[in-house]
Amino acid sequence: MNVIPCSIKTLKGLYDISGVEVGQHLYWQIGALQIHAQVLITSWVVIAILLGSVIIAVRNPQTIPSGGQNFFEYVLEFIRDLSKAQIGEEYGPWVPFIGTMFLFIFVSNWSGALLPWKIIQLPHGELAAPTNDINTTVALALPTSVAYFYAGLTKKGLGYFKKYIQPTPILLPINILEDFTKPLSLSFRLFGNILADELVVVVLVSLVPSLVPIPVMFLGLFTSGIQALIFATLAAAYIGESMEGHH
Amino acid sequence: MAAASTFMASTSKPLLSNPHHPPRSLLTTPKTIPAPFRSLIKSISISPRTLVLGAASLVASPLPALASEIEKAALFDFNLTLPAIAIEFLLLMIALDKIYFTPLGKFMDSRDAAIRAQLGEVKDTSEEVKQLEEQAAAVMKAARAEITAALNKMKKETTAELEVKLVEGRKKVERELAEALENLEKQKEDTIKALDSQIAALSNEIVKKVLPQL
Repeated sequence: MNVIPCSIKTLKGLYDISGVEVGQHLYWQIGALQIHAQVLITSWVVIAILLGSVIIAVRNPQTIPSGGQNFFEYVLEFIRDLSKAQIGEEYGPWVPFIGTMFLFIFVSNWSGALLPWKIIQLPHGELAAPTNDINTTVALALPTSVAYFYAGLTKKGLGYFKKYIQPTPILLPINILEDFTKPLSLSFRLFGNILADELVVVVLVSLVPSLVPIPVMFLGLFTSGIQALIFATLAAAYIGESMEGHH
Repeated sequence: MAAASTFMASTSKPLLSNPHHPPRSLLTTPKTIPAPFRSLIKSISISPRTLVLGAASLVASPLPALASEIEKAALFDFNLTLPAIAIEFLLLMIALDKIYFTPLGKFMDSRDAAIRAQLGEVKDTSEEVKQLEEQAAAVMKAARAEITAALNKMKKETTAELEVKLVEGRKKVERELAEALENLEKQKEDTIKALDSQIAALSNEIVKKVLPQL
């Protein structure tokens, strides 16, 4: 036990660093069930930001767009291009789904990086990007699964299930497994990236409080955008995949 | 980054000490959760408690307070948040579709259609423009020809008039010249006649003076 003197110090350091409140939540009780209040609150803010900016910018569209309308037209073009590239010519009905997915994740991620959530002290847990809670990412990934099933079934009827034995029936287990891995990978990718990004920033800041974390913060912004893009693109790709014809 | 700002602001404060909120364990807080849910949460949530306890047992007694203070992270506890966020997402999708995607998309499409239609019209009218240009060129040509004709005519007329006047003037001048010459001739003859008579008288006188009276 001659290691104790130094290890106390080390542990104290570790303890300070781990001051990041990982996986701690403010609970609200609704009936017999619990809810992560901090996720709900931040998601409301994100939704308010989205709806507010959209209403202000697109309330009265002008033939020659300017400012906010220009921006949102650009965003819509971007989402349409993305959907069209992944889904094909019948992308129209899926634009709201893909677009909302992209915008919600993007604004959520950036809100975690840009909004000073931590100024608001909660009795327990802390405010952060909604996407750094696994509930949120699963809540986004499951509708994606439902969406591509719906797309395939409406397009091809029960013939959609033929894809499970294509190209050979031997691949049936793998094809079925795919339906589980898709939402799993979608949700865990987003969750892990955002959580890790915020953790890295917080830990770096607690170690070196000035200048050094700044590039990491920019990297975090970049990652956040990329993750939103990946999620939306993959969702569109899954929908497109289940709609395209098998030969 | 938000985290960063607050951390920068309050680096003097130990980060985990949480003066405002005493730490509590996830598994102890939801007392109202029915037993099956509790077991579910227990099975899902990854608990670093064992890990922390292991580390704490390594360093033995001095840090029991620390170990108990480090709250177990409930990273993977699924609960009502999931359906709540899913419903929020669907509502957001409907709202954004109603106020953003559909109206702005329609607006952009109709504008595109209008621009395309206008471009098509412009292409059609280019034929008309060509015809009009040709007409204009023809009119200009005709006008130019007319003007040249009129100019030529006028030139001819004026030259003719000028010639007439010139001839008249020349005749007049010639006549006047002839008259003047005639006058001159007459005067010369008169003078010569007058001189003739004077010569006779003068010669007579000279004779008288030179020759004394004989």
